[in-house]
Amino acid sequence: MSADSAMTDGAPRARGVIHDRGYRRYEGPRLGRVQIVRALMWHSFRSALGIGRGPKAKILPVIAFVVMCLPAFVNAFAVARGAPRIVTYQSYLFPLRVIVLTIFAAVQGPELVSRDLRSKVLPLYFSRPMRRGDYPLAKYLAFAGACLLLVELPLVLLYLGTIASSHSNAIWPNTRGLLGGLAIGLLWAVVVSAIGLALASLSPRRAYATGVVAIYFFLTLTLAQIIRQIAQQGPAPFPPPQTIPAGARLASLISPFTTVESITQWFAGQPKRFQPAGPVPDPGSYLPAYILMAVVLLAAGFAILAVRYRKAGATS
Amino acid sequence: MTTGPLEGVTDSGGTVGKLAVHADGPVIQTQALTKRYRSDVTALDGLTVSVAPGITGLIGANGAGKSTLIKILLGLLEPTTGRAMVFGIDCGRHGEQIRTLIGYMPEHDCLPPDVTATEFVTHMGRMSGLPATSAKERAAESLRHVGLHEERYRLVGTYSTGMKQRVKLAQALVGDPRLLLLDEPTNGLDPAGRSEMLDLISRIGTEFGISIVVASHLLGEIERICDHIVAIEAGRLLRADTITSFTGASRMLRVEVDEGIQALEDELARRGLSPRRQQRSILVPLVGDATFDAIRDALADLRAPLSRLELSRHSVEELFRESAGAQAPGQPDLVTTEVPDVR
Repeated sequence: MSADSAMTDGAPRARGVIHDRGYRRYEGPRLGRVQIVRALMWHSFRSALGIGRGPKAKILPVIAFVVMCLPAFVNAFAVARGAPRIVTYQSYLFPLRVIVLTIFAAVQGPELVSRDLRSKVLPLYFSRPMRRGDYPLAKYLAFAGACLLLVELPLVLLYLGTIASSHSNAIWPNTRGLLGGLAIGLLWAVVVSAIGLALASLSPRRAYATGVVAIYFFLTLTLAQIIRQIAQQGPAPFPPPQTIPAGARLASLISPFTTVESITQWFAGQPKRFQPAGPVPDPGSYLPAYILMAVVLLAAGFAILAVRYRKAGATS
Repeated sequence: MTTGPLEGVTDSGGTVGKLAVHADGPVIQTQALTKRYRSDVTALDGLTVSVAPGITGLIGANGAGKSTLIKILLGLLEPTTGRAMVFGIDCGRHGEQIRTLIGYMPEHDCLPPDVTATEFVTHMGRMSGLPATSAKERAAESLRHVGLHEERYRLVGTYSTGMKQRVKLAQALVGDPRLLLLDEPTNGLDPAGRSEMLDLISRIGTEFGISIVVASHLLGEIERICDHIVAIEAGRLLRADTITSFTGASRMLRVEVDEGIQALEDELARRGLSPRRQQRSILVPLVGDATFDAIRDALADLRAPLSRLELSRHSVEELFRESAGAQAPGQPDLVTTEVPDVR
């Protein structure tokens, strides 16, 4: 083909382009199921943190993160003035973590699942190229990720603050503490988000979902503490490890928070020369029961989610 | 199973995943499709039907099995027996791939109130497998196609029912489907809104080149936009045909006399016509001019006082009612007028 004919061919076509405002087919690439699930996960992760939603949606996540990170800053100031590190990597501050995580799970969990149930948007998800289990999976991973960030961001800040304000020989023990703390934080996030999200998915009414999650977490924690105190006949200070009765060691199984914390205590208390001043007693030889309980909570969370979304898809 | 990126669906059939898309053949085919819930409720009962490209009305009363059929086509429900195929792909085995080809607009409300239409349709585009930027572009386009302009930046919760229906249609359109399944798209709309929605569907079916199945219990309403009609009742096929074959067969003459209607009917039958009484008039199938002559002669012979002779606008719904009455006596007629939605 000569250059001339190419020009005469091309010129009218270029000039004669019709800016068609009609329907255009999509010829670009289509993403597969895994990438669709990833997109849903990222979308849900952002909404768990209040990003991409209205300003009102950001209030709670911001407060949660600020409150959770505050002790890390306080600690940095304290260390800078020569005081020892006052917050541990293992439990951070147990009561604070419990309160903030409970509120976060009770408010943001329903944000992820109740909204879609309430507005009956699920058939739209299920009519797209994903499988039935993909939706709850993406929601769970998103929520676990948000909880993980909430639990671990303060630990990282705590670490950075401590390192920056103390002598260079503090780096190694702090790093070791941080790594252990991050692993424990992962356990917290994984277990709490599974059971929290499963409970939140039970009701399409957001207020009910929030209530169910909050009541479950607070009630089980309160029960665990009451039973422990009855069993060891009195609150803290803790008796020597050898004399803790079995009832007190087992009471922490009731609450997900104390279950996770008991596992933490067991590992933190190694070697068993002394009982660390923790919020729950060392489970001692009952450790397998606690590990089993954590697995059961996780499995129960997944099972509830799976059943919930099989039902939701079939009936709507 | 496909976990990687799906290949683009091309105009000339093409592929989805590793499966060939047969764009030239029937859009939908079912073979002896049966669905029983639990053990006693039969939603579909040996349904065998083939749907050609174009706009097809899926007609049936509430509970006739329309929604069950749609869910099977989407690969969301397993048929008890039989099978269903969309573009030659088995719905039961390749649900995921099928769903890249189908846009689905559910019957009920399915929109979250606290997002804008743009955000929502973009997100649904992402869920259809579009990359982020394409999803945004196509969401804007889809919303423009359904007639939402500046309103698309408002929260869906502030929309009228008509606008919500448009958003539902836009989210079905955003993934560039080859087939749209619309379940009662005119639900809850006023007459003007219904008419607009039907025009929109008609435009999508004809100008956009997307095959459409419109499920409705109102035959009279959607017949004007459909190329084909598939009528189901109690999970069984009542009739499937092109709309022209229906209207072609439906030319009738309506004869009314002040008295002696029975005598006239007998006389018309004697002259080789097949008259049929309908309340106070007689319907005679119009074959040609001979039909007019025969009626004129019969009236003259009987000296019957003619009060009306007209070419009956015999709508498709009446034919369905007849065949429903003939095939399944005692069963409720297709609902041809609006009934209050009791669900």
